[in-house]
Amino acid sequence: MGREKASGARKAMPGMRSRPAHSWGRFSRYSSALLLFFILCAATAVGLFAIRDLRRADLDSQNMYTGSVLSLHRIAALQYQTQETRRSTLYALSTADSNLHVKYADQSREADHLVSEGITAYLANARTPNEMDIGRRLQRDWSTYLNVRDEVLASILEGSTKEAVDLDLTQGVQSFDRVRQDLAEIERVYDQQASQQLSNVDATSRRTIIRVGAVLGITLILALASVWAIQRSRMSNAIQLARLQMEFLASVSHELRTPLAVISSAADNIADGLVKEKDDVKKYGAAIQSQSRQMTELVDQILLFSATKDRENHAAFGILDLSEILRSVVHQASELVSAAGFHIELEIAPGLPSVKGDASALARCLQNMIVNAVKYSGKSRWVGVKAFPGGSQLPGRREIQIAVTDKGIGIAKPELPHIFEPFYRSPAVVAEQIHGTGLGLSVAKNIAEAMAGHLSVASELGAGSVFTLHLPIAVDAESQVPVEIRAEGSTEK
Amino acid sequence: MPRPAHVLFFMVCAALLWGALLSCSLGFAQLPAPELPAAERNLAIVVNQSNPVNDLSMADLRRVFLGERGHWPNGRRITLVMLEPGWPERAAVLSGVYHMDETEFNNHFLHGLFTGEVFVSPKTLATPEGVRKFIFNVPGAIGYLRASDVDKTVKVIRIDERLPGDKGYKLHVPPRENR
Repeated sequence: MGREKASGARKAMPGMRSRPAHSWGRFSRYSSALLLFFILCAATAVGLFAIRDLRRADLDSQNMYTGSVLSLHRIAALQYQTQETRRSTLYALSTADSNLHVKYADQSREADHLVSEGITAYLANARTPNEMDIGRRLQRDWSTYLNVRDEVLASILEGSTKEAVDLDLTQGVQSFDRVRQDLAEIERVYDQQASQQLSNVDATSRRTIIRVGAVLGITLILALASVWAIQRSRMSNAIQLARLQMEFLASVSHELRTPLAVISSAADNIADGLVKEKDDVKKYGAAIQSQSRQMTELVDQILLFSATKDRENHAAFGILDLSEILRSVVHQASELVSAAGFHIELEIAPGLPSVKGDASALARCLQNMIVNAVKYSGKSRWVGVKAFPGGSQLPGRREIQIAVTDKGIGIAKPELPHIFEPFYRSPAVVAEQIHGTGLGLSVAKNIAEAMAGHLSVASELGAGSVFTLHLPIAVDAESQVPVEIRAEGSTEK
Repeated sequence: MPRPAHVLFFMVCAALLWGALLSCSLGFAQLPAPELPAAERNLAIVVNQSNPVNDLSMADLRRVFLGERGHWPNGRRITLVMLEPGWPERAAVLSGVYHMDETEFNNHFLHGLFTGEVFVSPKTLATPEGVRKFIFNVPGAIGYLRASDVDKTVKVIRIDERLPGDKGYKLHVPPRENR
């Protein structure tokens, strides 16, 4: 039990700390959750960064396409049409048919019309002063060439081929070269813009890769740290469990050794013939019987703890008359402790409803609570047991509360969260050499939870403690007949 | 049985109706044929828009068309544009300006170019549209078009101070046949 009565001199085993190392385990659990949270945040950040960079890259690509690639296509078309203008003019030189002359002149004029439109569109879309300058120069040079082209065409159509060729060679070629240079310059400008935008896209892509890599690295580190923390936590729990088991074994061994020593001593005395008188034999027999019972009780407690770990055993549940069970348990306990001057006061509210559960388990639970109170009642040697209907924290649920009160040493607040843990023993209890297995309250708690209830505690150091068992009232309690009580280890009168 | 007076009345009415119908049909037959619009009937003399000449006398026009003048006042060489034989516009110019038939026209230019008396060899185009485009492209070109074929790309000049459609304008073209 959590704070077993000291049955003999027992000191804490060397090298064993009574307070379990919960801090690291709890810290590790919280740290793991925190690390997982950070990993989630990092993954989200990766996604956001990646999405933002991808959108930027996409925008840059679109800008590059609309701003430069399409413009380059337009310039290529413009270059083609300028060539077509000149080519059609020169085709006219190759024939003496006036009708073909007119046809080629038409083709040339159609092409030059497209070129003029293209130049106008370029000027409308020009954004930088440099582009405007080039556009205006192109417009001027193109106009100059068209004037020459018109003269050449006129000469061809008039039939003055030589004059047309001379005019084209002296003026047409030069003016057309200027147009070509202007177009080449525009092409270079667009090339530069496209290169610039391509480098922007490239930079964005590289930045994205670096960011994603960095955050993925951080995520990996955090994941490894989390795994390490989880493993560390598990290891810590395993070490703690092993230590508790060692303490438990030591405690159990010690608890067993004392009655065994008494039994062995009594048996030796009887065997050696040292005890001859009938009264002495009875006395030794009673001692052996008492110590045997104590050992049996200890073994039962351990077995019960193992049994109550399985909370799914609802098959044995029935409707229980709590008043009768309480009276029985208190009666048994009073018989055991009255000799030592303890007084147990029982108060049961009238008309107490029934609960659903296992009668023997409930009796064991109440017995553990009462024995625990007796053990730590200190000099007051008073224990109060009170059963009454109470409200539940859960809406729509009614429950019965059984409060076991003592005016003993109390429990320090930092110890309260641990006293229901199996094998736990507080440092103060160990220091005062109050012996126990650290299973009593844990067993009681398991039993309470198995019956859909729970165990709560309120305590003040030096003033005493109140352990309260909360059990839900059976829904069909009134229609059921209470089952017979079979409290284990009870000594009914 | 019909009465004789009724029969007589019926015959008189029928005769009057017949006479009226006959007189109407004769009257319609005597109406003049519907005239073509003026733009269809008039032949315009056209030059390039840049040509400073706006007015020519019929005598000057004849000299230009005969190739006896080589240049315009602005120094531009005169290029004479003719439609191919068979076009009514060409026939109208041959009769109205040259006062020649096709054979005389051809002989004139063959002889003139050979002797150097003619400075211009006419360019022959297949369609009025070709003529218009030619004149548009050649600053010194002069040709003729049915007035309905004229657009803003060419300039119509006055002949004897008259434009096509003016009263007393002498160049007319017969209706266009399906070619």
